[in-house]
Amino acid sequence: MMKRIVVGMGLVALAAAQPQPGAQDGRQQITMPFRDPSMPRKLVVEGGTGSLTIRGYQGQDAIIEYTGREIPGATGRGRGSRNEPPPGMHQIGGSRGLDITEESNTVRVNSQNIFGGRARDMVIQVPAQTSVNVKTMFGGSMTIENISGDIEAENFNGQVTINNASGSVVAHSMNGKILVSLDRVAADKSMSFSTFNGDVDVTLPADTKARFKMRTDFGDIFTDFDVKMEANAAPVVEESKDKNGKSRRRVRVDGTQSGTINGGGPEMQFTTFNGRILIHKK
Amino acid sequence: MNCEQAKTQMLGGAMPGENQGEEFAAHLASCESCRNESSRIGALWQSLDLLPVEEPSGKVRERFYEMLGAYRQGQASVTMPVKQAWPKMIWQVAAAAALLVVGLGVGYGVREDRSRPELVQLREEVASMRQLVALSLMQQQSASDRLRGVSWSYQVEPSDEEVMNALVTTVNHDPNVNVRLAAVDALRPFTGSPATHLMARNAVIQALPRQTTPIVQVALIDFLAELKERNAAPELRRLVSDPDIDSGVRKRAEWALERMQ
Repeated sequence: MMKRIVVGMGLVALAAAQPQPGAQDGRQQITMPFRDPSMPRKLVVEGGTGSLTIRGYQGQDAIIEYTGREIPGATGRGRGSRNEPPPGMHQIGGSRGLDITEESNTVRVNSQNIFGGRARDMVIQVPAQTSVNVKTMFGGSMTIENISGDIEAENFNGQVTINNASGSVVAHSMNGKILVSLDRVAADKSMSFSTFNGDVDVTLPADTKARFKMRTDFGDIFTDFDVKMEANAAPVVEESKDKNGKSRRRVRVDGTQSGTINGGGPEMQFTTFNGRILIHKK
Repeated sequence: MNCEQAKTQMLGGAMPGENQGEEFAAHLASCESCRNESSRIGALWQSLDLLPVEEPSGKVRERFYEMLGAYRQGQASVTMPVKQAWPKMIWQVAAAAALLVVGLGVGYGVREDRSRPELVQLREEVASMRQLVALSLMQQQSASDRLRGVSWSYQVEPSDEEVMNALVTTVNHDPNVNVRLAAVDALRPFTGSPATHLMARNAVIQALPRQTTPIVQVALIDFLAELKERNAAPELRRLVSDPDIDSGVRKRAEWALERMQ
């Protein structure tokens, strides 16, 4: 059995639940229950333009709140595009809405791009003990708070912030910082934090047992943990000639550096191409 | 107790701290490599616990009784009077005794090696359990578990084709960027093994055009540069000249081409 709510820009809600217009600023709210409280819960969020916040709370349902807004300065519509309103007309609705389903205790929120030049900011509350899997392609910043399940977060163009997590985290941003703070670390969970352009900044409890694998191509690695470093791979010596025919020698200590804290444990990987790696002790 | 004896005991499946005797504990305290080995095997047993338990189907009971019935029938047909059986038994006892003497003699002669065949077999069993753990973790729903599967793959022999293929599938198809990234790194040992290095190299070359995530592209480019894999040059040139590719990736591809010269 699957329950589905489809919202076309707040026009019509199919199926059981109706969006309730918020008191002000056109905020909409939809409640979707996890139907089996005894089973593990999972929240999957895909797509979306705008900011996204996921927050653990004391209740039992998923509560989805969203507001639409103009993106300042965005033109959004290509000339001659099907998205462009014909002369003299304006858009009042469309198919690219919000699709929320529940099946086998997984609530899935699919937020397709809404009208060109507009963004949808979303706040989703779920019970703290929920696994969260978020993937946005063109979204803004992403914040996940107070979740004790497994978190998988992937953002394209914005920062990923994860606060007060107490399960496991696997996070990636293509063009943003990764900022993670864990209150507790589930034993025996592998984690990974990566970005292409930005810092990877992770705070761990002082007694975390882990083996770090760290790699930054253009940046430095800092920590206040007592890390027992393992031997590096042999440095690579490169000989090359510059434009004037002078020979140059460059020594690269290649790639990944590893080390353990508190005697070692599951693997934690920190990767950035262009940025620093900061690992703080809580 | 020496390392060899300690390892035999570990391979027997005793968990750390459980029924191992003082001698073993003393050896672990003094030998770092055995200590590491012991904790690795402990972790292996724990991971095996994570695997789903096979539920016996209803047919198992049926088949068991069928088998038992067949066994009873067979027994009934070979039963013979004790008197008749005597001469045969004497020969059997004599043969067994002779074999025992020969066995003792051989055992004495090669006593240096007497634990080896068993050890080899146990090692093989542990290797196949490691393979099982790595392969099944790589199939899990949660990215964290799949990452664990990828790190387990470092514990199998680098000639293990099945694990290598699973890693290649992960590099090409895993929905999570971080898992793909970890799997690229985990392919490294396979490029050093005579049995798999050609397959591993080809897999890395073929993986590059499938990737669209810059950080994974860079990891693959670095890997190819490290291998000085000239067969990847056409793909690297394509990346360099493709304006849709991230500029950091294009620069990296250019650098890799220079390095291969």
